[in-house]
Order: sequence, then structure tokens, then C-alpha cells
Amino acid sequence: MRNTYVWFLQLVTGVLIAVLLGIHVVIMHLDAILGFFGVDMAEVTSWESMIGRAIQGVWASLYIALLAVVLYHALNGLRGIILESTPSATTERIVTWVIIAFGIIAFIGGTYVPVALLAS
Amino acid sequence: MRQIQPRQNYLGPGGWVWAGKYKLERYLYLLHRITGLGILLFLIIHLCMTTVFRIQGQDVWEATIALLRNPWFKVGEYLVCVAFVYHALNGLRLILQELGLAMGRPTPPIYPYKDALRKKRPWTIALVAVIAILALVFVYDFIVGGW
Repeated sequence: MRNTYVWFLQLVTGVLIAVLLGIHVVIMHLDAILGFFGVDMAEVTSWESMIGRAIQGVWASLYIALLAVVLYHALNGLRGIILESTPSATTERIVTWVIIAFGIIAFIGGTYVPVALLAS
Repeated sequence: MRQIQPRQNYLGPGGWVWAGKYKLERYLYLLHRITGLGILLFLIIHLCMTTVFRIQGQDVWEATIALLRNPWFKVGEYLVCVAFVYHALNGLRLILQELGLAMGRPTPPIYPYKDALRKKRPWTIALVAVIAILALVFVYDFIVGGW
């Protein structure tokens, strides 16, 4: 039963990622195509542009939400692939907890750094 | 008496690249898994860049960005974009299938009938075409944006 909820969350995060990461990819990588449609983002990867976005509440919360759903989706997918070889219950528990620990560390790192940059 | 062997459908580790007797959808599944792992690899590099390197300030950030202007990283960036589009659109197809949405009415299995995958296959092929077109559109960005 619990795995059903885990899998359903995988679907929900998948849809969320398609929207949020879609915005992220278009803005960050497809500047020429945006320029084709008359949108000029001008050097999104420069330090000033990056800090400019990081201090806006909307962008910061979008990025944190994106980080959370992406980490869930990616690490749950990886866990599914690893557990496909049907290891013992102990190995399964170890894999699960290692992946959860990695996800929490990555989430803390990914949210702490922008906050620390704002403070400095 | 001759033993009738069941048809071998266990592909083992080879099943990561070869779909055996299975058709298009199985190859989409293999690509889904490979692109997922590729994007995860990118995600880890990307998180390193935006945490470990970014915390060191403007100079390190700009050096990192300069490093990422390398043509090889540009090719990798293109591959990640295409992998994301593939994974996203194929994933939406899988979600629709999983939840049974937009699947049409069920029909009685009276011979000759099409199985569920065959009925959906035109849409699946259309989806692959859309992904291929988007992959070509992304090339435009890398030609105009420079290498």
C-alpha cells in the first residue's frame, strides 16, 4: 500500500517537473529560440543575473520547489532501478535510507547556498 | 516426445539495450530509463556547480561558466535538453496510460482484434515524431547561440 503512494507521488512530481523544469530549461538554455519569439533574457548565467533572480521571492521559491520535486522524482526512480534486481529486505532498507539521506543532504545544500549568498 | 520450450522472454542485463521480441514501446521504456539516469548524472553535476562552486563567490562562478562554454559541454547540454524533452513527453504518455485517461472505449476482444498497445501505436509514433522535431528545433538554438 505504501509503495502505491510512493508511485503516485512519482506521477504527480513528474507532471510538476514537466512544467517547472520546462520553464527552467527554456529560460536557461534556449535563449536563441526565445530571441526568435522576441524575448531577450540577456546573459542569464552571469553573476548579476543569477543573484538578481535569487533575491526575488518568486524565483527563489520556484527553485526550491523544483529542487524538492526533482530530487524526489530522480532518487525514487534510481531506487526503483536498483531494487529491480530484487535484493534482500535488508539491502532494500539500506538502499532506501542511503538514498533518503543523499536526498536530504542535497536539498539542504541546494537551499542553504542561495540563502548564504543573500546574507553575504 | 519432444518438449515444447516456452518462448524465452527473460532478457537479463542485455534487456537494457535490446528489447527481444517486444516492440516500439519497450524501446521507449529503455530510452526512458537511460535518459532518466543521464539526467540524474547531469543533476548531480549541476547541483555541485550551483552549491559547491557558487558559494565561493563571483570569480569562481564566472570561471565555472567559462569552463561550461567548452564545445563538449555544449554538446552535453544539447543531449540533456533532448533527454529532458524525451523523458517529459514519454512520461506524460505513461501517466495517461497508467491512469487510463484518453484511452478510448474498451472494445470486446472478438477476432481479429487489436491489442491495447497496437490501438495506441499511431499516437505513440506521433509522440516520437514530436520529440524528434523538438530535438531538431533545439539544434537551431545551438547553431544561432554559437558553440
